[in-house]
Amino acid sequence: MHKIWNFHGGVHPVENKTQSNQLPIIVMPIPAQLTMHLSQHIGKVAKAIVETGDYVLKGQLIACAQGFVSANVHAPSSGHVSAIADRTLPHQSALSGPCIVIDTDGKDQWATLSPTANPESLSKPDLLNLIQAAGITGMGGAGFPSAVKLQPKINIHTLVINGAECEPYITADDRLMREYAAQIIAGIQLVQQLIDQPHCLIGIEDNKPEAVAALTYAADQHTNIEVCVIPTKYPSGGEKQLIEILTGKQVPHGGIPADIGMVCQNVGTVKAIFDAIILGRPLINRITTVTGKAAANAGNYEVLLGTQVADILAFAKVDLAKTSRLVMGGPMMGFTIQDTHTPIIKSSNCILAAADLELAPVADHHACIRCGQCEVACPAQLLPQQLFWFAKAEEFEKAQDHNLSDCIECGACAWVCPSQIPLVQYYRYAKGRLKTINSEAQLAEVSRLRFENREQRLVDEKLAKEEKRKARALTAAAAQAAKRAANPSAEDPVAAALARVNLKKQAKTNAATQKSTEDEYKELKTAAAITRTKLNKTRKALTNAQAQDHEQAQALQQTVIALTTKAAAAAAELHAYEAKLGLDPEKEKTLQLAVAKANGVVRKLEKSLATAENLQQLEAEIFNAKAIHEAAGLALEEHQANAKEKPTSTQES
Amino acid sequence: MQTLYLAIVILALLAIVCGAILGFAAIRFKVDGDPIVDQIDSLLPQTQCGQCGHPGCKPYAQAIANGEAINRCPPGGETTIKALADLLDLEAIPLDAEHGSEAIRTIAYIREDECIGCTKCIQACPVDAILGAAKQMHTVIVDECTGCDLCLEPCPVDCIDMLPVEVTSASWHWQQPEQLIATSNLPHSRGESDHA
Repeated sequence: MHKIWNFHGGVHPVENKTQSNQLPIIVMPIPAQLTMHLSQHIGKVAKAIVETGDYVLKGQLIACAQGFVSANVHAPSSGHVSAIADRTLPHQSALSGPCIVIDTDGKDQWATLSPTANPESLSKPDLLNLIQAAGITGMGGAGFPSAVKLQPKINIHTLVINGAECEPYITADDRLMREYAAQIIAGIQLVQQLIDQPHCLIGIEDNKPEAVAALTYAADQHTNIEVCVIPTKYPSGGEKQLIEILTGKQVPHGGIPADIGMVCQNVGTVKAIFDAIILGRPLINRITTVTGKAAANAGNYEVLLGTQVADILAFAKVDLAKTSRLVMGGPMMGFTIQDTHTPIIKSSNCILAAADLELAPVADHHACIRCGQCEVACPAQLLPQQLFWFAKAEEFEKAQDHNLSDCIECGACAWVCPSQIPLVQYYRYAKGRLKTINSEAQLAEVSRLRFENREQRLVDEKLAKEEKRKARALTAAAAQAAKRAANPSAEDPVAAALARVNLKKQAKTNAATQKSTEDEYKELKTAAAITRTKLNKTRKALTNAQAQDHEQAQALQQTVIALTTKAAAAAAELHAYEAKLGLDPEKEKTLQLAVAKANGVVRKLEKSLATAENLQQLEAEIFNAKAIHEAAGLALEEHQANAKEKPTSTQES
Repeated sequence: MQTLYLAIVILALLAIVCGAILGFAAIRFKVDGDPIVDQIDSLLPQTQCGQCGHPGCKPYAQAIANGEAINRCPPGGETTIKALADLLDLEAIPLDAEHGSEAIRTIAYIREDECIGCTKCIQACPVDAILGAAKQMHTVIVDECTGCDLCLEPCPVDCIDMLPVEVTSASWHWQQPEQLIATSNLPHSRGESDHA
């Protein structure tokens, strides 16, 4: 006997299973119309490969899987495709989605099938291909494509087969296990063959003794297939919960069972794998429980996929007048359907036609009293109360931090809630909003990149334009140069004109400088003289004023100071100019004085000669004086000549 | 006295060593650009609509970093204001009505048979989401459209419609349950239904 563990929380709702599990599975007749959804699975919508008006055979591929996570869709019966259009989805949203509508002809004519007589000879890729081609998805509820799940990246040591069927009312797997035990075991063997012969554990709740007996009998010869009876507790059929019950191991947060070397499959899926490989039949039908107090013929029906709920309800003699709520799925995790034309899909395991008072009505809910019962019941060991507050306050990030994504939406918390708060709806709301927020963030990231790329492109374009303009200018210049080179005699008119202008300018400047030397000197001299005269005049006025008026004197004094500075500046300027020209007026003055003095001496002596007695001495003296006068005159002349010569030389240099 | 000098020397050495480490770290781990601008930018919806008065989300992020109000982004709405308030440790204030009101997300669609191919909308689109050429019909790449409205105004023939984004089964999600506080007039209790 295999050891059984337990998982945290869980609840024990009334099972209500006997209503539907007493009778064998009844095969429902072919309905007049089948509505095949192209999205009966998680992942991308399949692409229709038939057209309106086409005749399709039973089991014929009518829509192809798109991408890795997707599944094929086959015609469940023969007939004509009457429409490819949007029909109501079996989904909480009651939105429409793409469907292929087939009007059946009742012949139920099979397409050519290719059954396998000896599956042992099949290789792993062959097996996977067959499973993929048959469009098999998880039959337990989620509808994840099985072929994807059965190609794990790491070694699988345990295969868990889910026959728990923990949700109240549903007995489809129970009846399936009782009636198709051998096929299920054969299907398990195929899966084992596909993933390296792992040990198989079949988990069945102890409220299904007949199913346990049937499977134990069928698995008797197989040492690596073990049937484990587990206590009835909701939600033991949850993948992670069942793994914990059977192995004591927990699937890590955010991970999948394959991360701890396990793969979990529903019994219905295993049976479908058997049908696909051994019989060559794609997934076109399933066992669906029809139950509830409003159903007169409650039981399990083998229905073709695409059968509308209305047809099933009619066949099971459901009194719609008595039905208060029509639920697809179980009472814990199912959803209410409004439109009875909604078809059955691969994961529809139950239709619950609940009569009045059978299910808890959607009641007004009270305020949370923080009793903590939800935390006790939560099988995922979350804090439902915290999550509720966060979802209500729209603090989705915080809800995420409290592992909202680990919530399996089993509804145990809502079931125990004394205030009847629809907790699961709050979590679904929060999950939905988080999903939207994430997808918007992704879109924003794309937009940001596109915006930045565009900005960059605009800048680049501008630069490129500028480059082009420059390049054009260069080309034009080169062309001009080439033209000149080709015709060298032709003088460039612009350059010639410029040269002429330059020459003229130079000539003008030269003339100006030459002319100005003497004039400038004179001007400077005059200016200095004027300033000096002004200064002297003011000084005189000042002396007068000082004697009479004190106030005027002060103003005059200031003028004197200003004039002194001006005179000094003018003198300095004159001196600088003289220095530049090489003039020395001081020396000239001294020399002039010497000449005048000598002249005076000569005159005096000549005068005294007329009256004097000492003639000889006088004559000698006059001779001397004349010589001195002559010498002085010579020196003056020499100096003046020098001064005249110098400016010209400075200018030339 | 010797102890005092020793203490001074030790403290001085310590200061030099720490200063050197800090100086080295300042150069070695220098952050290029202003990280807060990028953080703000990542919270903005990137519609590039210019309703905030800036030519794009990045310039507005820059302006927020320089102290502009955080409530000028209508496409982001309350959620963005809340996120910005959290990031910048400010108070979440209501959306500035002057810059527009929060509306449902829309996508531009060109009525293609009316399009004259003037390329004006292409030049206006901040995210290059419109495809077309001169005198050829234009069309919007729906997946890339941010719903910024900027293409409406330049269109000379008014052939662009802003249509709300359709809810698909992939984008649909549950709504928050209506909050009703029940009175005591429930017709039946939960226990009854369970034992039924």
